[in-house]
Amino acid sequence: MTFSLMKALPGDPVYTMAGERADPETIEKIRKDIGGDKSVLAQYMGYVAMLAKGDLGRSYYTNRRVLDDILVKAPNTIRLASMAMLIALPCGVMLGLIMALSRKTRTDRILSAVSVFGLSIPVFWSGLVLMFVLSLKLKVLPPSGTGGLKYLVLPALTLALPAMASMSRITRVSVVEILDMPFIRTARAKGIAELRITTAHILRNALIPVVTVAGLDFGSYLSGAVLTETIFGWDGIGRFAMEGIVKRDYPVILGCILITTVSFIMMNFFVDLLYRHIDPRLRTGGNVD
Amino acid sequence: MSIKITAGIIAAIFVLSISARLLSPYDPDAIDLDSLREPPSLKHLFGTDNKGRDIMTRVLSGGKISIGISIFAVIISLGIGLLTGLISGYFGGRTDTVLMALVDLVLAFPSLILAIGISVLLPPGIYTVVIAISAVGWASFARVIRGHVLSISRSQFIEAARAVGCGDLRILTIHLLPQCVPLALVMAGMKLGGYILTEAALGFLGLGVQPPTATWGSMISSGRAFLNSAPWMVLSPGLLIALTALCFNLLGDALKEKFDSGPGI
Repeated sequence: MTFSLMKALPGDPVYTMAGERADPETIEKIRKDIGGDKSVLAQYMGYVAMLAKGDLGRSYYTNRRVLDDILVKAPNTIRLASMAMLIALPCGVMLGLIMALSRKTRTDRILSAVSVFGLSIPVFWSGLVLMFVLSLKLKVLPPSGTGGLKYLVLPALTLALPAMASMSRITRVSVVEILDMPFIRTARAKGIAELRITTAHILRNALIPVVTVAGLDFGSYLSGAVLTETIFGWDGIGRFAMEGIVKRDYPVILGCILITTVSFIMMNFFVDLLYRHIDPRLRTGGNVD
Repeated sequence: MSIKITAGIIAAIFVLSISARLLSPYDPDAIDLDSLREPPSLKHLFGTDNKGRDIMTRVLSGGKISIGISIFAVIISLGIGLLTGLISGYFGGRTDTVLMALVDLVLAFPSLILAIGISVLLPPGIYTVVIAISAVGWASFARVIRGHVLSISRSQFIEAARAVGCGDLRILTIHLLPQCVPLALVMAGMKLGGYILTEAALGFLGLGVQPPTATWGSMISSGRAFLNSAPWMVLSPGLLIALTALCFNLLGDALKEKFDSGPGI
């Protein structure tokens, strides 16, 4: 079911958006000969035909092929997203585990409040605050630009903060659920060391939903990086899209939305597969063929 | 307890922002070239920005727009979501398949990207932001409401209503709708914090309500260039976004706990 749905999704909405997007294009670029004189439908058909050939068109401003630019910038975005995930996943799981194990105590309440706070801070603001403190005042890290690890830390940290918060919340819920299960009591009764119970019994089971969410989050980083990349001048797809928006460069905007949406959906699909792989209980139902 | 506190803080921010023009001696949009980028002082509690405007006045009057847009957007998402969810869950069959395919389609997009896409399409302004946020937001409401309707439409009281001869419309509005309202309100509370952030993000990207009207997002965006010399331009709007979103999130959590009906997404 989910598979066929995922399969069916990418094409349709994207093309529809392309069609819709063609409308303001007619108004704004009507005098230019980028096909603005044709009807919306003709433009839409043209775009679809171009897509079918694997072409995303050319930027109105630089006249470079959008696809080429995206292919240059995509690795940067992926690097940023991976780094953010590398920070967020272990920290988030740790925090969630601490919260769950100390549930209903003061530690839990304080950490829970912190995690809600982490969810409530806008990334573009926390990014600026981090930039202000770490690079403008303490001068530890460069404020913006694309480059090595030094440049990567700030945007990755910014991107990781809300993710860490949401992951810790999910871990907490999932661990608390498992703590009440009979097999944990059995393990305790068998006299297994508390540390081993925590890592082998609790964490392993709790990680299943966490990994799912982490995967989905990774997909949303690829798109959510619009704000972070813009602030830190990170030369990825998000900033590319943003520049396109500012300049009303429709082929660029369209191309970026298309690429991020497709990768987002692919990520969802991948998580779906991964989910079955991690949890053997899910495999029996699906493997009829 | 925490419901009262968080709701109180939100109400306080909102009331202050509505009455900003009465409380403050400054006009939020008046340019004063004699007091450019002044640090916080007794005269200007939050300092002034690069055009000499009083930041406190601007932050407060921006709150009116940001909170207003989010609440407006939540009401619209809730309305569409309730309607879709009720119809989809109650009638089932092909109606359900089509409507839920639509919901899945919206949910398949990264939400911020979809909101940005819609904002680019339409002329910038308050209504565009509301439309952009609710066009993305309704889907998760519809999904959750549908699930709830599915689970209660097999209850005996619905069967009884049908046996007495109630029409579909009557069952939907009088029997099913009230059952969904608490769940929908809890969800609205949980979503509001996110909507505040989305609104701010759109404003930050220059896709929200256009200058000179102050919104939290656009104030941060204009303060970015002066981060080193005038950090207070960025500080107070960001703090207010965080505070408001935090209160809405806590409110949502508290409501969820109270009704103990945690919606999945």
